[in-house]
Amino acid sequence: MLFFSFFKTLVEHEITVELKNEVCIRGTLKSVDQYLNIKLDNATTTDESRWPHLIACKDMFIRGSVVRYVHLPPGIVDTNLLEDATRREAEAAKAKAK
Amino acid sequence: MSFFGFDATLPKDGGHAANAPGFGQTPDAFAGLGGGALDDGDAIDFEETYDGLGDRLDETDDAFNDDTFGSGPATQQAVGRDFDFAGQTSKIADTMHEEQMLYQARQAPPKRQPPIPQASKPARTGYESYHNPEYIPQLEARADIWGLKPKQNDAPLRQPEPVAPAPAAPVAARKMMSLDEVEAMMRSHTMQESFAPGPAQPFQLPAMQQQQELAYNQPQYPGTPPQYAPQILQRPQQQAHPGARQTQQHQQQQPQVHVELPGHSVQAQPSHAPTILQRPRSNQSDPHSQPRQAAQQQANQRPSSQPRQILQNPNRLSGHGQPIAQQGQRGPLPGHNRGPSFPGMVITHPEQLLHLSEEERVAFLEEDAKRAKRNHKIAMLSKDNGLMTPQDKNFITRIQLQQLMAATGNLEDQGSEAALAEDFYFQVFSQIRGAPRQTPHQPANQFAQTYLFQNNGRFGQGRRQGRGGDNHMQRMEQQVQRAVEAAKAKPKSKQLVIEGSLGKISFSNSKTPRPLLNIKRGDTGDKPQTKPHKSSIADRKEALRNIEKVYIILMHLEDHERALPPPINENSDPEEIQRHMEWRSKVEALHKKLWEGIKIMEPINPHASSPHPFIAMLSHGKGKKAIPRIFRHIDDQERLTVVTMIVVHLDNLAVVSHALASPDEPMSAAMREEVALFSQTVMPPLFGLISESPLSNVVGLVGLVLARTNLHVVARSQIGMSLLTILISRAELLKESTPDINIVDWEHWTEQYNQLFNSVEPVLPLLFPGSVNDTDDMYVWQFLAAMGVGASPEQQQRLVIGVKDRVMETVTVSKVLPPEMASARLANVNLFMRAIGLDVELLG
Amino acid sequence: MEDKEEANNEPLDLVRLCIDEMVVVKLRGDRELKGRLHAYDSHCNLVLGDAEETIYVADDEDEDEPSRVRTITKKLEMLFVRGDSVVLIAPHAPIVH
Repeated sequence: MLFFSFFKTLVEHEITVELKNEVCIRGTLKSVDQYLNIKLDNATTTDESRWPHLIACKDMFIRGSVVRYVHLPPGIVDTNLLEDATRREAEAAKAKAK
Repeated sequence: MSFFGFDATLPKDGGHAANAPGFGQTPDAFAGLGGGALDDGDAIDFEETYDGLGDRLDETDDAFNDDTFGSGPATQQAVGRDFDFAGQTSKIADTMHEEQMLYQARQAPPKRQPPIPQASKPARTGYESYHNPEYIPQLEARADIWGLKPKQNDAPLRQPEPVAPAPAAPVAARKMMSLDEVEAMMRSHTMQESFAPGPAQPFQLPAMQQQQELAYNQPQYPGTPPQYAPQILQRPQQQAHPGARQTQQHQQQQPQVHVELPGHSVQAQPSHAPTILQRPRSNQSDPHSQPRQAAQQQANQRPSSQPRQILQNPNRLSGHGQPIAQQGQRGPLPGHNRGPSFPGMVITHPEQLLHLSEEERVAFLEEDAKRAKRNHKIAMLSKDNGLMTPQDKNFITRIQLQQLMAATGNLEDQGSEAALAEDFYFQVFSQIRGAPRQTPHQPANQFAQTYLFQNNGRFGQGRRQGRGGDNHMQRMEQQVQRAVEAAKAKPKSKQLVIEGSLGKISFSNSKTPRPLLNIKRGDTGDKPQTKPHKSSIADRKEALRNIEKVYIILMHLEDHERALPPPINENSDPEEIQRHMEWRSKVEALHKKLWEGIKIMEPINPHASSPHPFIAMLSHGKGKKAIPRIFRHIDDQERLTVVTMIVVHLDNLAVVSHALASPDEPMSAAMREEVALFSQTVMPPLFGLISESPLSNVVGLVGLVLARTNLHVVARSQIGMSLLTILISRAELLKESTPDINIVDWEHWTEQYNQLFNSVEPVLPLLFPGSVNDTDDMYVWQFLAAMGVGASPEQQQRLVIGVKDRVMETVTVSKVLPPEMASARLANVNLFMRAIGLDVELLG
Repeated sequence: MEDKEEANNEPLDLVRLCIDEMVVVKLRGDRELKGRLHAYDSHCNLVLGDAEETIYVADDEDEDEPSRVRTITKKLEMLFVRGDSVVLIAPHAPIVH
């Protein structure tokens, strides 16, 4: 749940989602679920000449599994906290495994 | 405050309005109106409007003028008598003056100053000044009054005045009118055409009035909020562009004024107005009634101004962006006024009442009382509007939420524990930054505290990043400065003879440093190169593993802290005590584990190929970041151990041994970052501990530096130098502040200082990491200052010799720098110079 | 969960050591990332900071030299990487000086 938790803090921020088919979409993260499916508002492709068919899409749902990267604005990530959260997650996963 | 509740200086309404709260505001609104026809409320415009008035007077109808006022040219002066409020005003001139001064002192907009004395000048009758041809300021003030007056009364009320039977009245009314007014009067046709002295704003009026009536019939209060909201939104812009703000303000004010005015007329039942107004005339012509009238007027003025204030209040607060202090001040005023003048409010014209039937009067009074109440309420509610920005509010909200959580956190703990584990990042993040959707049950507040003040490393928000480091640097600077000051306050026998020292420097500088410098360089150069590179992959992994273990323990500790059972006392039941004991013992266990985890007690093997495990941890970013968190959980003795360990291995630290910059080979960006991180995370706890240490500890630590480390490496790195600075300045402070210091300790210190000095002296010219143009040399000057404070005169001279070139260069360079940078750099140099009793000024 | 003094007994424990350290991540599609590891989970979802992406593109234009490879590099300040693209995670050996 670490990344679900993480993405929740990014809601209402501008992100760029890079899909596995190279498509890049920039928009406001409206919501996210535990599969890391993503809902974007005010979406625009970063290269409209490459993907003209996406110009008309303003709000979209992106299935989590097709995502390769999500580019984030660095200012909204608390790295120390994130690292500790990662450690906790790792601990919890271990505890469960046993 | 002036008689009418106006600011006598109104003509400059532009400037005034920008920041006028309270009373000042009232006149503003009118000023806006008065200038309305002119499209500008400037002082100049007023004069233009009124200066020519007298000449333009049509005296044909002024037959009775002389009877009333005595012979004299029908000029402005004559006009003035009709509305000679000044005569009345002068009676309370002193008070007014005082009040005005008070008001102005609080406001402190310099512009308004000049008119004040003038306004209060007309002592006694108030007529004297009119005879003085040079008495222009007075005219100006009156101009305001007029500009205000018509508006205040507004058309319906006003018109009757001219009708007044007294012969003087028409004259007066006429004279008062500007061309615009006449025009307005003709257009408005409301009542008696012949004299109707139109409102100052003929064109706007009708439309406005309707609006206002609407607004008024809708109670005033509801009317305001819409206005209010947009203004809030506008606020930032207004602040950014004062000019724009003013105009905007202007626009806002006009409607407001109108809003009020129609209010009066509506309530006062316009049909009565004419009759009511006739009364005053007769009163006025009766000399005896003058004072009374004045009093009435006074009462009159005040109330009428109040609603306006109230209405404006939200406006002002939000729209004008006034300083908070003023608002605070203003707050009480409306309320204060309103109290006493409450009944007076009814009587826009006091005379009106006399003409009303009993019932009407009662109704009128009642209604007005209601309105006053409402206004009062509004004023009370709105007096502090705008005191806090939305950010402030958000901030407070967050604090409150945190406190709420702190209060209820323990109760929630059990239930939320699972949620926290699952959603740790979001929960704590929300707590810290106020995420978009704050869940009401946030159990994480203690975590928030852990992370809130932790600096955010490389990627943190700019706001938080570097705060720790800056603080630490500041505090260190302060300590050095205090040491310098203390030393100066108690000067040692003789400071350097300035001329001599400077002269000597120039003699000896060229030869001394060079040879030493080269030798040392080779020496310092290869040592760091070899050592840390031996750390094999296995060592590295071991260090990382250790660090991760420490973090896990830290998190257990922090988790456990949150589970702190309620405090116990003698009456607590055994179970609770039992729980407390268990909690305690668990803390102890974790603490012990932590202490073992940081590996600090591993034996120091000077010949080991790999660095000490604790030191190895410090070479990783996360190891450094752990230090402040570790410090929170260990006791002072253990802290001292940590400091000792770091000091002993000072030259083994990557941030020291790899961070030897010189003008030729500056530090890599990565190393810079490491150094910055170290000074943000590790240095503050070290500094905190050392700055409270007794001399014996300081002596011990310096002794270790001398005995165990390569001072040439240490002194040439920022971290090493900072640590030395902290130690030396602490010793000097102790020396100055504790007279009964242990002699043995002290001798020990002096000995060590000399040793330190001798070791550092050869590398003095190498201390600076970059060329003169590199501004990042403050820590070097701090170090030099700290050294200088404790130096003997002879040592001081050697110190100066060592860095004289740099001093001179910096002084030279700063001459061509922008003043701010120059003074900053010179201040750095001066810190050192003053430590040895010199000043950069002397270098001219 | 408290007594885990033993060395890493799980593959991801190795990744754990790399938290806040520079790592190299190989990805499907001939991509490589170098960056500071801020977060990971059991799916190998990652958050990398200060990342540099390298894409290896075979240049088909030259048929004579099939082995020719072009690289594209991009700087990415903060990046979430979906775990299903990840092939391997390795510590990035620091070449200090």
